[in-house]
Amino acid sequence: MAATSIRVVIADDHPVVRVGLRNMLQADPAIRVVGEARDGVEALELARSLRPDVLLLDLAMPNVAGMEALREMTAGNLDTHTIVLTGLIDKRQVLEALQLGARGVVLKDAAVEHLSACIRAVMQGQYWLEGRPVQNLVQVLRDLTAQTAPAPRKTFGLTARELEVVALITEGCTNKDIAKTFGISEETVKRHLTNIFNKLGVGNRLELALFALNHSLLPVGEGN
Amino acid sequence: MPETETPLTTEVFDQLQQAMAADRAGFTELYREYLADAWHTLELLREAAPQGGEEVRQRAHYLRSSSLVLGAHKVARMAATLEENARASVSTDDNALDRIAEALREVQAELAERLGNGVIPADKTAA
Repeated sequence: MAATSIRVVIADDHPVVRVGLRNMLQADPAIRVVGEARDGVEALELARSLRPDVLLLDLAMPNVAGMEALREMTAGNLDTHTIVLTGLIDKRQVLEALQLGARGVVLKDAAVEHLSACIRAVMQGQYWLEGRPVQNLVQVLRDLTAQTAPAPRKTFGLTARELEVVALITEGCTNKDIAKTFGISEETVKRHLTNIFNKLGVGNRLELALFALNHSLLPVGEGN
Repeated sequence: MPETETPLTTEVFDQLQQAMAADRAGFTELYREYLADAWHTLELLREAAPQGGEEVRQRAHYLRSSSLVLGAHKVARMAATLEENARASVSTDDNALDRIAEALREVQAELAERLGNGVIPADKTAA
């Protein structure tokens, strides 16, 4: 055993996963598994008591879930580097984990291939994502943020007032109602509707309402 | 679904076997435990399926997790579908569970070929 072994705690609710990961890691003389946790509570306890260099953390665990455990680890200012184990890449989750202080994300199906390398990279101060060390974390965070941000609402060339009219049409308002709501004449409402129909290529109010619903044309919170 | 999908991913199996080269019995035991646990989880899934919801999602996640780590990717993929459906409140039909059972039988047969019949859990030797 190397004198400066990297001390690792494995946190996963599945015993077979823990055994599998432990055996994988034992093949690396530089790594020593010093503890295993079955849930988030145990993971936190072991992180506090054993002060491992690395915590391998499953995100979907009973009691305290992995993300919550990560949040508490960060709040507790523990020196442990956390590597998140996950079954699939959920970019939103990856972003949240990194923001909460995780240093790496490893897919479970790639654990055999990448886990040792990931642990070593993280111990050298690097981050690890998508099967390789990350050179530019800021860029990665920027990309993830962009990818997980809600898509901008398409307006199909409609003006702000026309979008407001569409919203009222989907609520079943008549031209008279709309005119009253905006303090404009019914003629103006008709003109708005003609413009809307032309821009969207629809022929009547029902088609317009369906188009608005299908193309998320309504402001968030409306039409759901 | 890739048509060439094998029940057991060779790369994962080989690397894990290499990592546990000094403990061949332990390696077989690891896969025996996986199989026993997977069959048991499948039974629990059948019990939980009529109610659906969170229990199905958790059980499916549990099955997916070990299947991924040990290279049973076909089972893992099917369990993932089950998990996603449960999350979306889509009911679990028996056919889906039958397909997982079939995939698990394939994994078991593959493991028996590689490691011998000792890898098959005692109550599944006739499966």
